[in-house]
Amino acid sequence: MSLAVSSRRPFASRHRSGLIAFFGRREVLPAVLICPVLLFFIVWDTIPTLWLLGLSFYRFSLTSGRPPIFSGLYNYTSILNDAETWFDLSRTFIFVLLAVGIETVAGMLLGLLFWRSDRLPGRRVALTLLFAPMVVTPVAAGTFWRLIYDPTFGILDWFIRSLGFAPVRFLSDANVAFSAVLAVDVWMWTPFMVLMALAALASVPKAELEAAEIDRLTWLQRFRLVILYHGKFILMLGILLRTIDAFKTMDLIFDMTYGGPGTATELVAMTLFRRAFEDFNMGSSSALAVILLLISIAFTVTFLYVLYLRERKAALA
Amino acid sequence: MSGRLSQGLYHAVLWLVALVFFAPVFWIVLSSFKTASQILAVPPLLVFRPTLANYARLFAQPAFEHHFFNSVVLSVLAVLIAVAVSFLAAFAFSRFRPGATNFLMFLLLSIRMLPGSAAILPVYLMYVAFGWKDSYIWMTLFYAMFSIPFSVWILKGFIDGVSPRFDETGIVNGASWLSIIARLTFPQVLPGVVAALIFNFIFVWNEFLFNYIIGGINTANIPVLLATNLSHGGGIDWTFLSSLTTVYILPPIIAVYFFQRFLLVGMTFGTVRGEV
Repeated sequence: MSLAVSSRRPFASRHRSGLIAFFGRREVLPAVLICPVLLFFIVWDTIPTLWLLGLSFYRFSLTSGRPPIFSGLYNYTSILNDAETWFDLSRTFIFVLLAVGIETVAGMLLGLLFWRSDRLPGRRVALTLLFAPMVVTPVAAGTFWRLIYDPTFGILDWFIRSLGFAPVRFLSDANVAFSAVLAVDVWMWTPFMVLMALAALASVPKAELEAAEIDRLTWLQRFRLVILYHGKFILMLGILLRTIDAFKTMDLIFDMTYGGPGTATELVAMTLFRRAFEDFNMGSSSALAVILLLISIAFTVTFLYVLYLRERKAALA
Repeated sequence: MSGRLSQGLYHAVLWLVALVFFAPVFWIVLSSFKTASQILAVPPLLVFRPTLANYARLFAQPAFEHHFFNSVVLSVLAVLIAVAVSFLAAFAFSRFRPGATNFLMFLLLSIRMLPGSAAILPVYLMYVAFGWKDSYIWMTLFYAMFSIPFSVWILKGFIDGVSPRFDETGIVNGASWLSIIARLTFPQVLPGVVAALIFNFIFVWNEFLFNYIIGGINTANIPVLLATNLSHGGGIDWTFLSSLTTVYILPPIIAVYFFQRFLLVGMTFGTVRGEV
């Protein structure tokens, strides 16, 4: 019956003894295949993480030259009792909320705009230009935004002044710097949400859209009942990925403001960077890193949960 | 007739949106063809006589050659290692589903979800203790490790999409697992392999923090050069920075043009498939 079974046995291998045969056994093979990744994983993740976890219970500074001193939960309590930590965390969450919110709304609107762009002349070039911000080196993006934001010869400031407004010191004015950095993040990552919105729209069956049109649903109803119904998981995955990434924002800040002026743009990743690689306070920064690790794990679990929901829906359909 | 007009208008709007997003990039590209005084001119110059002097100066600098070479070697080597080992693991996860599959996939993903400074801190401590800082080999291996989670996720998605019947057919025909992996599965998931290579390459190519922390003068890549040139020292050499930036951001943008159909897979850990 089966056509695939031919008498020529095209894959028959000549060596079927010894080690290869042993590694080829079904009980052994998976372990052999996973082994290299596991090795990488143990050396660069498990061991360092355990090290980090251990060190977070010690008072240890690289600059003092003294060996670590066990201090129990001291690092954690001092971080959690430090008002500065909570300021940094809330600043980070405000940043994440605003960035992801604006990017999601803008991305969905632009996604709807680009939905029917199949016959756009030079579509591939246009989309490359549109998606360029998210693959541009973040440090380089920080560099040229500094040129654009520069208060004396930046193009943006020239534009504002020629409109008759007072010059704005985008990156050195504590009231503006946060929005200026936020704007760059929005510029960089709105294209990502456009991409996700386009993917979500592509997952909507044409027949249902036509049916909705025949049933004369309003635009809002069509969006809510048809588009969101089919596209919501892809959109949720996009929003989650963006949330996680915005929470990690670091390169851009490092290059544009270095957390300043004052602490106006100090996000947690930057705080941790300063504490670890400027103050070399390894005990305290390990504890902060463990706290960030827990937050990231919460994000990861949520992400996987949405994936699971989507798979379950696909299995039911 | 009016249909064609509105279509033309619609397309013009789309191009305008794309150009607005590209404008900041375009501005730096434009600046790289200006002289130092033209870059800082007020009002900003849109029309000027382009010069290639910045590029001539950039390519003549030994520092540029050294760091650019680092960028290329680190990203290519790390990505090749990562994708090779990830492919094997992804095959095992997809076909044999060992007990800890879900947990391991979760752990792998969580590495990439961690803020960079938290991820690098323990590795930094380890590298300092063992004297591994500023070494090509250990830098490459770390980047490889950091590219593995993404590669395993993407490749597992693709291998899941290949029917296990191919394996069964292979076994019935007397193929070894090695040839099932290399000659039956690999060609069918080639798009996934390409996507994993490209997007890991872009990641390592753009990566700054890890290189800054566990690297040194030997292994520093261009992003480190860019960032440290800015934050230290008084006057900023914009001609140098603009030409360097232009050269450096070109490969990822070209990659997006040629591999646009992998963009979605590449930006979502392979969890969302399709084309835009």
